[in-house]
Amino acid sequence: MNKITATIIKEWQLMRRDISGLLLLLVMPAALIIVMALIQDAPFKDYQELRFDLLLSDNDKGSAAHQITAGLKKSKSFRIIDSLDGKPVSEEQLKHYLNNGKYKIGIVIPAGVTAEIVNSANIVVNDIWKKANMNAHLPAREVRDQIYVHIFFDPVSKPTFRNAISSALDKYITYSCSDILMQRLSALGKDPDAAPDTANQDKLMQVMKGIGVKEEPLNDKAKFSQNLNSVQHNVPAWAIFGMFFIIIPIAGHLIKEREDGSELRVALIPNAHRFVTIGKILFYTFICSMQFMLMLCIGFWVIPLFDLPPLYPGAHSWLLFPVSLFIGFAATSFGFFVGTIFKTMNQALPFGSVSIVILSALGGIWVPLDILPHSMQMMAVVSPLHWSLEAVNQIILRNGDYDSVISPLSILLVTGCIFWIGSLLANKNRKPS
Amino acid sequence: MAYTIEINELRKNYAGAIAPALNGFSCHVEQNLIVGLLGPNGAGKTTCFNILCGMVKPDTGKALIAGRNCTTERVVIGSIMGMVPQQIALFGNLTAMENFRYIGRLYGLSDSTITSRTGQLLERLGLDKHADKRINAYSGGMKRRANIIASLLHEPELLLLDEPTAGVDVQSRAMILDFLKDYKAQGKTILYTSHLMDEAEQICDEVIIIDNGKFITSGPPAKLISETENCTRLEDVFLHFTGRSLRD
Repeated sequence: MNKITATIIKEWQLMRRDISGLLLLLVMPAALIIVMALIQDAPFKDYQELRFDLLLSDNDKGSAAHQITAGLKKSKSFRIIDSLDGKPVSEEQLKHYLNNGKYKIGIVIPAGVTAEIVNSANIVVNDIWKKANMNAHLPAREVRDQIYVHIFFDPVSKPTFRNAISSALDKYITYSCSDILMQRLSALGKDPDAAPDTANQDKLMQVMKGIGVKEEPLNDKAKFSQNLNSVQHNVPAWAIFGMFFIIIPIAGHLIKEREDGSELRVALIPNAHRFVTIGKILFYTFICSMQFMLMLCIGFWVIPLFDLPPLYPGAHSWLLFPVSLFIGFAATSFGFFVGTIFKTMNQALPFGSVSIVILSALGGIWVPLDILPHSMQMMAVVSPLHWSLEAVNQIILRNGDYDSVISPLSILLVTGCIFWIGSLLANKNRKPS
Repeated sequence: MAYTIEINELRKNYAGAIAPALNGFSCHVEQNLIVGLLGPNGAGKTTCFNILCGMVKPDTGKALIAGRNCTTERVVIGSIMGMVPQQIALFGNLTAMENFRYIGRLYGLSDSTITSRTGQLLERLGLDKHADKRINAYSGGMKRRANIIASLLHEPELLLLDEPTAGVDVQSRAMILDFLKDYKAQGKTILYTSHLMDEAEQICDEVIIIDNGKFITSGPPAKLISETENCTRLEDVFLHFTGRSLRD
């Protein structure tokens, strides 16, 4: 134990004298998580979170158009602009502004939409009434050609954006049509001269509204739930990336000790090597863990200074410390492996940095795995960064407890052991200099 | 226990090497002597030292120190033998004292033992005023002396030195050689290599000449000089046995 402690003390003495190296180890990942969280903030906000300016040209002026407009105005997704310079937006103006990119979306409600919707609703209601062997009395005519609400996009809009907006608009228009249908149904059987039975009508509308889609929490931890956003993804992801970048100083440190002969000193002392290795692994694992915890603190206290939401650490945030130790062990062992199998810095450093970039891309550090192709998602299992992120996400996104991280932590432990044993074997077979 | 070195028919062939590093090398080193292992570059000196330290396994043959097998009894050998490598095997960003404290702890010594032994050795080798300086700030001679101290912390009975005076100034060399004589006077055995024949002639009780991985000759320098034709110095003897062709 004394030999391990001696090694930890010696590593700390060496590290604290390398102030620039120590700062790089802490400042660079901190800068990385802040920059990446800021850059990826907009792409991470889905279309439900963003509010778009929507140009609206109403050529109908009827109740249906009014309901569509009112529905859209209530929506959190759109900011309706139906007049410019105090005048209603014309179809020509709308196309002009979309074409020059000033606005992204526009809809034109053609004349006659209300009449057509009301007529269609009346036909449906009369038909239902007739099937009930009762006389229908709502005015109706033959259905004409369908009249569409036209939607226009800025030509540079992406297809995914168009689909999302079209779906959202379709929802409001369908809802408005249903609303009119409900009104026609509720109007049946009433004395046209009597006062409207608003209570009954509202009840019917309430029933219809109850049939739909409503998001429900998965479990009783809903109050802790936090949706994936730029901070929730980027802070842990790039903190893990920073932890794995410790392979660069570790590999460089091992090669330097080999080149300057200090490793030889340890090799000359019987039984010292294994204790020295354990001491180094423990030391760097702890440094990795401290680095990770510091990055989380930055996510918690510094990130909000940049108008981003603070990092949410999950319902069992204490688990992040043991998780960081496992990640640190895997990263440190990988560093030992790289530092052992390569003979020179010129070999180890490019390999180390490029391998971390590749493993991070495969592991979902750059972008969440969910949006990658299936083949890439399958390849993620080879990346220790993937399992690291998986363990952290279990805690901060899914509010997981101890059980939920056992699987990824076991994989990290095995990965770390494989790298460690590999580096011990490689070191054993090395010809002394 | 007699702290002797017994080397029998050592053979070692590194993978990919053109010629074997050791090719049936044998020799014997008695206790309480300073013995020079002399040979041109590539003669097999370092491989021989590495085998004695247990860091390299011979293909065939045996190396025994105090009757213990260097390959299979490394822990025992490590406790009775100290090795001063040619490289400065110290941590450059640590002070000399921090280096010695760390190395002493790896040898399993208590802090008080380390402090007392280090104090004596630092004073004897003229580094007592520089103990708290980083090794990187040392001159070449100071680094060599610190390198020797690090190998003596566990008070070995046998000391192997691989070119301990390479690249040092005259004063440092004199101090190192005086120290080795004093160390021998304590009953210790010293095996050392050097390319400086005058130095070996001056300090060694015996020399062993090795070339191409084979034993060439051995004996006290004066005896070898007198018994070899047309030789007045150890360097003449060395060139007589190893030739004048370059060993690049």
